[in-house]
Amino acid sequence: MSDQRDIIIIGAGAAGMNAAYVAAEPGLAVTVVDANPCPGGQYHRRGALEQRYRPSGCSDENRWARVEILSGQQVYAVNSMPDTGHVLVRMRGDERHPHEIGILRARALIVATGAMDRQLAIPGWQLPGVMAGGGAQSLIKGSGVLPGQRTLVTGTGPFLLAVAASIVQAGGEVAAVIEANAPAGLARHTRKMFPAAVAKTAEAARFAGILARHRVPYLTRRRVTRIAAGAVDTQGRACVSEATVQRIDSQWQPKPGTEQRFDVDCVTLGFGFTAQLDLLLQLGCAITDAPDGGLAVLVDERQATSRPSVFAAGETTGIGGVDLASVEGRVAGLHAAAELTGRAPATALVKSLHRQRRHLHGFATALALAFPVPTQWVNDQPGETIVCRCEEITLGDIRSARDDLGATDPRSIKLLTRAGMGWCQGRMCSFSVEGICGRQANVAAQAASASRPVSVPVPLGAIARDENVMRESAQ
Amino acid sequence: MTNSFDAIVVGAGVVGASCAHYLVEAGLSVAVVDRGSVAAGTTGAGEGNILVSDKEPGPELDLALLSQRLWTELIDVIGPAIELEPKGGLAVGYEQHTFDHLRAFATEQAACGVVATPVTGADLLELEPNLNPEVAGGVFYPQDMQTQPMLAAAHLIARGVRMGRITLHTNANVVAIPRDARGAVTGVETTTQTLQAPLVVNAAGTWGGEIAALAGVNVPILPRRGFILVTEPLPVIVNRKVYSAEYVANVASDDAALQTAAVVEGTHSGTILIGASRERVGFDRTLDWTVVQRLAQQALQLFPRLAQASLLRTYGGFRPYCPDHLPVIGPDARVPGLMHACGHEGAGVGLSAATGFLIAQAAIGVSPLLSLAPFAAERFDAHHVAVVHA
Amino acid sequence: MPIMWRSFMPNLPVNSVHIRIDGNDVAVRPGISVAAALLTEGYRSWRTTRGQQQPRGIFCGIGACFDCLVILNGQPNVRACMTTVEPGDEIATQEGTGHV
Repeated sequence: MSDQRDIIIIGAGAAGMNAAYVAAEPGLAVTVVDANPCPGGQYHRRGALEQRYRPSGCSDENRWARVEILSGQQVYAVNSMPDTGHVLVRMRGDERHPHEIGILRARALIVATGAMDRQLAIPGWQLPGVMAGGGAQSLIKGSGVLPGQRTLVTGTGPFLLAVAASIVQAGGEVAAVIEANAPAGLARHTRKMFPAAVAKTAEAARFAGILARHRVPYLTRRRVTRIAAGAVDTQGRACVSEATVQRIDSQWQPKPGTEQRFDVDCVTLGFGFTAQLDLLLQLGCAITDAPDGGLAVLVDERQATSRPSVFAAGETTGIGGVDLASVEGRVAGLHAAAELTGRAPATALVKSLHRQRRHLHGFATALALAFPVPTQWVNDQPGETIVCRCEEITLGDIRSARDDLGATDPRSIKLLTRAGMGWCQGRMCSFSVEGICGRQANVAAQAASASRPVSVPVPLGAIARDENVMRESAQ
Repeated sequence: MTNSFDAIVVGAGVVGASCAHYLVEAGLSVAVVDRGSVAAGTTGAGEGNILVSDKEPGPELDLALLSQRLWTELIDVIGPAIELEPKGGLAVGYEQHTFDHLRAFATEQAACGVVATPVTGADLLELEPNLNPEVAGGVFYPQDMQTQPMLAAAHLIARGVRMGRITLHTNANVVAIPRDARGAVTGVETTTQTLQAPLVVNAAGTWGGEIAALAGVNVPILPRRGFILVTEPLPVIVNRKVYSAEYVANVASDDAALQTAAVVEGTHSGTILIGASRERVGFDRTLDWTVVQRLAQQALQLFPRLAQASLLRTYGGFRPYCPDHLPVIGPDARVPGLMHACGHEGAGVGLSAATGFLIAQAAIGVSPLLSLAPFAAERFDAHHVAVVHA
Repeated sequence: MPIMWRSFMPNLPVNSVHIRIDGNDVAVRPGISVAAALLTEGYRSWRTTRGQQQPRGIFCGIGACFDCLVILNGQPNVRACMTTVEPGDEIATQEGTGHV
């Protein structure tokens, strides 16, 4: 079968699937490539055997029949072909089939690779039973399994409510929600941009109602300062038994004497989200800093990046939630298709989508500003705190490199300590390392940290045998 | 804090660090200046090779042998901190005729003081149990060593800082090299300050030509791009640095097009590094998957077991490359007070110890252990070569 | 006091998929991830780290952190959260690099 497509969409979450549905309308060859067993991304994650994900308003099954969806395919690299302007998408099979590699070519690419929970190192965060808020959600939504018997949901941001609500609705227990910021901030920021009524989004209100019904305490201006593993699992291996929470100041420094202990067997952590920009960075797309302190790919009103024929939608353009991702996906789908067909999309439709996008984007910005994440407190924790989970590099190791060896930036820290060189290639620790360095708002340095020429590990044997590379070089 | 020093070294990579180290040993106070942080340039993309095995008889081999002896001395000074391992190197010829060339080459090298032992069959597999048994034969070089280059640069400098003899100025871009009425350098100007010294050492590696230009002289250094593949952490599969015989030919090649030859070695952390590619494509950092595939294929030809190992990441760097494949070392006859220590083309780590040592000897007026004539900066002036700027 | 803990599932059909975990026969719900299967069998960790031999299990749950690596049908370093169980699967705790 030919490897040529009109539009390839990477990511089958809300952004990607909305884009696919819209782009398939004029009869283009649209393919969605996604690493998970079935479409849905994070928000719409479901069991592999459950009903297929269809974004709301995208119900024409005849149209879906024309969209090729490749699940269990992980894109490890993309590059543009300078002469044709086409994009090469290199992918490998799932965890059972990592040696099966393939290549597809697209006349236009939409990158909708979403985001992952953003993490900061805390003593004991590496213990079994500690997981990302998104990890708890993926267990519940994807497998119908609770993350633990009694969970402490911690970090910052509206996502904590969603995680806690998921757990209690699945029949689990949430000891408390520990929010580092204060919700009053949200009202202050949104009032700047919208009528106060908008601050009460329907969903947040629904989650808050669920938690109230289950009598889950929502404790603000606090964070977890230590997690201990005094219990064992059925195999006799250590797992979480207790978390210590303290009140904090505006820089998240803990106030002595305010320790509160929770007996829990699961602690979730999440401090906002980090967009997954690997593939966009490989393509050399212009990157910008986002209001939440992270990075985002720069897109214009068509969701087009700075690279020809490359579009982006969803969290990659800035963390904004599922509704914004859906709208951006539609905009990207419309314009990518228009670029190929030469037929401009309907003006009224475009105007409506742009208006929705503006509204949702503004709210996302307000949320980011209402839940700020200072990071210098990471540096003041005990030296034994593990920062790089993969290579087990401690805060003390990093401080030595910074203070004794002149490693003044994250890249140097990485080269001298190995922090960020393990399997996850810095995804879990880079935000902490930036905080320990004293974060300079330097987009170039952050982008360098976030750059990964290989986005998912690929067996050398598969690369060596790959006939597609040979074909490409003959072009 | 003083702005006056006995010497300023521009470049905090492994060569600059070595220069600073030996200058301190010679009794000088040193400022090390870099536009980024320690090992931010090519050293940060290095593999850590300290080789005598890949050098043909001539000035570079002499430099390598001196450097190897000096590195051995450094083992006691900072060895464990920088993962310095005298593990030895194994050059292999997959085909019989390649192996024959390798043996002949080793005989020439032996005449200059290189220890080289041909190894075949069962002995070869005892040295490297996972080596492809179809390999015709290899030559073992016990003098080859490996280090972690970024740690080496950082610790050499840190030691001098602790002794109060080195001041490190990072994130300080040199924008001018002022000279006095007789044309001698007086120090450097960065974007934030002026540092004074009667001696300025240009250890700016691939950007050495730019620094030289600030002092008004031509030093034609070009970038020669290389990529390295890094595997997942593995149990010990490769005991030494193992490379195919074609590697030597590639280093000496004038071809701008892609040259690849297998270089495979394990590291302290268990990852395996796979090189080596050389191409002149300016400063283009975009990963080329054709290169990745070639490197993977060549590595698997030597170590078939690596087919199951996963590629975790790649990194690239720009080796500083001089037209005659020799570095630039020593006082610049055209500018009093200016010395160069750059252009080591993929051998920077290995040659840094000797380079630093010779620079220090020149700085205090001692007759250098090796003649610096082959490494003179002025040697290119007769046939001018354009300098490539980043 | 150590807590013996087993993950419990909400009320969902239990059509069993037969797999082996560290040599023990178990039956799990179809369509769940290997990580979820391990959790329902009371495992909080199924790997020890290469440096300090510390236990690790699921962390990010979406394939980004590579903490949940396990040996599946003889293949090490499989992300348990990204893999759906299949009948006959042999899952084993891994140590160090995962390779023997």
